[in-house]
Amino acid sequence: MTSPAVKSTDSHVLRILVIARHAFTQLVRMKVFYFLAVFAVIAIASNFFDLPQHEVPESIGVSVLRSIKSWSLGTMTLFSVVLSVVATALLLPKDVEDRTLYTILAKPVPRFDYLAGKLLGVLLLIFVSLALMDGLMTLVLQIRTSVVLQQQLAMGQQLGWGAAEIARLKSETLAQGPTWSLQAGVLAVFIRSSIIASLALLISTFSTSTLFTTIISFLVYFIGHFQADARDAFLQSETGGQGIGARIFTLLTSLVLPDFSLFNVIDSVIEGQIFPLVMLEKLMALGLFYAVLYTVCSWFIFAKKEF
Amino acid sequence: MKGWKKNLILLTILLTGGALRLPFEAQLTKDLRQAGLIVKPLQIGTREKIGQTSSAVALGGLRTLVATFLNLRAFSAFTEYRWNDVEDIYDTIVDLAPHTRYYWWSGSNYMAYDAAPYSLYNEKLTPVRRRYEWQNYILKGESFLRRGLQNNPDDPELHKNLGTLLADPNKVRAFPDTTASFLAASQEFKTAADSGKMLPIVRRLQLYALARVPGHEAEALALAQKLYNERLKNRAPSLLCLLIVLETHQGLIQDPAKRAVELFGDEKSAYKALGYYWRDQVNYFPMDGIASALKTLETGLSIPEEKSLLHLKMPPRFGTDEWFQ
Repeated sequence: MTSPAVKSTDSHVLRILVIARHAFTQLVRMKVFYFLAVFAVIAIASNFFDLPQHEVPESIGVSVLRSIKSWSLGTMTLFSVVLSVVATALLLPKDVEDRTLYTILAKPVPRFDYLAGKLLGVLLLIFVSLALMDGLMTLVLQIRTSVVLQQQLAMGQQLGWGAAEIARLKSETLAQGPTWSLQAGVLAVFIRSSIIASLALLISTFSTSTLFTTIISFLVYFIGHFQADARDAFLQSETGGQGIGARIFTLLTSLVLPDFSLFNVIDSVIEGQIFPLVMLEKLMALGLFYAVLYTVCSWFIFAKKEF
Repeated sequence: MKGWKKNLILLTILLTGGALRLPFEAQLTKDLRQAGLIVKPLQIGTREKIGQTSSAVALGGLRTLVATFLNLRAFSAFTEYRWNDVEDIYDTIVDLAPHTRYYWWSGSNYMAYDAAPYSLYNEKLTPVRRRYEWQNYILKGESFLRRGLQNNPDDPELHKNLGTLLADPNKVRAFPDTTASFLAASQEFKTAADSGKMLPIVRRLQLYALARVPGHEAEALALAQKLYNERLKNRAPSLLCLLIVLETHQGLIQDPAKRAVELFGDEKSAYKALGYYWRDQVNYFPMDGIASALKTLETGLSIPEEKSLLHLKMPPRFGTDEWFQ
């Protein structure tokens, strides 16, 4: 026999999932997936940025692989950040405007479930979009890597390279192609979007307009890239001889704002470096922490809000 | 609950959450920096150079994308021979993507292998100015590679590239001390070859640089012998010629011509290989025993005196006072 506690948890999860599905459908109807066509053009066009620059035989075509990754991940970042801010900022005001919010809250739906469901819907949309973009990028990259590899191997054989040299060349070129580290980089893009979406949700609970939420969220996003500087300044303030005002300011910045500079690992992944699993796990844990913290804070404000 | 009370609780939650994650984030930042996965923040100078929009994009976590754009811009500057712009753009690019070997190498190549020769043949400049510009751009090319190595100390390709530049006979006069430059080049090639990730030619390049450093002949001979015995592929004509030169220098052989025939198989092949090597004296290669070997072989092959390679007029060495005149 199922205990009441388990039953209650199940019903919470079910409610959250229903609201998430509704939010997802609502956003899909806004035709956000049209963006994928733009992404496809960018991913294919990045194939043609193969400039006749300095290339030794060993690195023929490798720069174009980096170009594909750079353009694709850059577009993914831009898309995911914009979508997470704008979609989240729109959700609550739209539900108020459509009066859906009153219908939902008139039912026995806890406000936390409503918020968590809405956030999950946005995250689901970002995840699906990123997965589709990732699939396209991987496909383009895989095809181009094969072409580059064939050119290099032909050249290596022509120059009479040994098996060991050819194997080294192959492994270096494959490191610039679709790797697990690259997939981890895409996941890092998603984690960053999750944080910014949960933050936008928090802002939207006390914001007076969609525009305000959007502007503040973007500002926090950019300032978040300096959070590490503020933290370093605070941690070294004792030796640095900072004034009390500066110490309080750097401490508050470090404690309140998220650190987005950690997600700059994506740049290293584009450069072909290996992204260790343990680091990815830590980023995931941090992302989860932020998402939970900001959602709880959102609920705290939203719980007693009157409409 | 009153408004101020609610805000206070909210702030407490946020601050407590922040206090909980602060040490974790500080440690994670440290770990990621140590692993070379995140780089230092952008310099103010770089932010100014790339402009506000690009700066915002770069700060938004898209540094490599901005670097890719700038690479396109650098190519335009290159096609218009705007070398100072090329240098400026690459300075910015490497600040944005310091772990991309290609950018360090490309910046260096634009300076040392494009801008330097361009200045050399720029008729609008006086000879003194041409020389200054030529030297200046080569040193800038070297600087790019050295900075690249500071950022990527374990990159064997960059070590090899620096070795190649330092040992380039067409550039070596741009450096303050030719001998020191060849010695530094041999060390760079050694570091690259020791990584085990390079082609066998890099070890030979180490030998070619080392052989051109007076006082290091014994060391060079040991390396040449090791390479000769190691694998058949290492028996390139230059290596065999160097073996003869170094053995002669060390007094191990008395008849270099005989040794040449032994190494190359017959008199004709030996004469051809040593003939090519003889021309390499403009490239600073040592010539111990080569003249006497050529003379003996020319006698054996009945080559008339007037056609002797020993009478070949050598062009002046690149970058010397004589060359500039």
